[in-house]
Amino acid sequence: MTDAREAIHRDLVLMLLADARLPVAGHTQSATLEPALRAGLGAGDVPGYVTTRLRTVTRVEAATAVVALHHLAAGLDVGPVEAAWAARTPSPAMRATSRSQARAFLRLAGRLWPETAPVLAVSAYRAPCRAVALAAAAASLDLEPAALARLVGYDDVQTACSAALKLLPLDPADVTGWVVGALPTVDRLAGEVAHLTRPEEIPACGAPQIEAWAETHAHTTRRLFSA
Amino acid sequence: MPDHTHTHPHPQSHSALSGPARALRLGVCGPVGTGKSSLIALLCRELASELELGVVTNDIYTDEDARFLRAAGVLDPARIRAVETGACPHTAIRDDITANLMAAEELEADYAGADVPGLDLVMIESGGDNLTATFSPALVDVQIFVLDVAGGGDVARKGGPGIERADLLVVNKTDLAIHVGVDAGLMVTEAAAARDGRPVLGLTRTEQATVDQLTAWVRAQLARHRTGDLVPQDPGPMAAHSHDHAHA
Repeated sequence: MTDAREAIHRDLVLMLLADARLPVAGHTQSATLEPALRAGLGAGDVPGYVTTRLRTVTRVEAATAVVALHHLAAGLDVGPVEAAWAARTPSPAMRATSRSQARAFLRLAGRLWPETAPVLAVSAYRAPCRAVALAAAAASLDLEPAALARLVGYDDVQTACSAALKLLPLDPADVTGWVVGALPTVDRLAGEVAHLTRPEEIPACGAPQIEAWAETHAHTTRRLFSA
Repeated sequence: MPDHTHTHPHPQSHSALSGPARALRLGVCGPVGTGKSSLIALLCRELASELELGVVTNDIYTDEDARFLRAAGVLDPARIRAVETGACPHTAIRDDITANLMAAEELEADYAGADVPGLDLVMIESGGDNLTATFSPALVDVQIFVLDVAGGGDVARKGGPGIERADLLVVNKTDLAIHVGVDAGLMVTEAAAARDGRPVLGLTRTEQATVDQLTAWVRAQLARHRTGDLVPQDPGPMAAHSHDHAHA
């Protein structure tokens, strides 16, 4: 565990990071699906909701992760990447959620890969976002940009879909079908952002309605999910 | 981004503070409706004048328990934090304790300034779950499992990790026993038998002597924590209990 690069197949690294059993408080997240359902979306809307996220907020996150990975691998300061992400994430609630998830992730990464330069570099920031935290692990474990982007997209799809199972009366096999149905979009997203290296190239494609739901949720008293 | 350039120690250790320097973390778990929130409110009422307290609640519908405690007026609302578990109360105290650890650390950090006394005791209330739910020893230093007489006299006899091996088993609401046809004394005796000598406390708010026994137990755990003698013990899930130690 001291040498993060010690001949671990990248497939295994990706499986580890994508596994919901990773103790990073993933079970507290709904990808803003909980307030979306409360606002009137129904079960039939979930696949569309997931796709919308992949085209907007999750695209921002995936691109941020890829650019951060490039910076960390090149030994560059990730500050500008973080700033670019924050500028493209206008919802304070979504920024707070991302930073909280980053903290959860970094406390694990700090235990597993404590001596790697990217984890040390990102941990030195007071409140990095989740995309940058994931990039730190990816940089430490030699994960490629496209793989990191696929991880961000896949995790977002699974987060929303698994939350749907808690919130709606659904057949888990149907929901897994939604995940499978979203995979080509995840793959396309990864292909489109994997080559990015500069903060200004991170797309500014927010989703005002999702952001508004995230804000509402942050002030709700009865909720199953943190965000 | 000037607000992101401060450096701080990276999060390599399992807690912001370790050892007796930080607050004692006391877990309270047990099935729904057995009186976990009431027990915590009771401890706040009894101990708030002598100890600096904090509470982290895990509720199914988040802040019900936190609101109960805030409404009880036994503790400054700022000292009560609610953690959402995504309908996974068992996960949040056992297989992925991250959200609870972060909440406990934030609470402790908020009261660790030079101008405020640090917390002595942080109580973490699990979302009411089933008989198999127990806290990870990485989250709490010591844990109480709460049953109540209204749940039936046979529950303690049935056993389970919390009943058999939590640091303290509370049989709550003993004043209700006569109304639900349960022999509270027998229930406590059977629980003691299932626990191989670990402590069992029959508790009712209406009998101060039982309340005093509870607070004495908590004070004793805090004393052990401060001297470094408290080593978290894992009650569950079903592992044979073979470690060699004496309980207070």
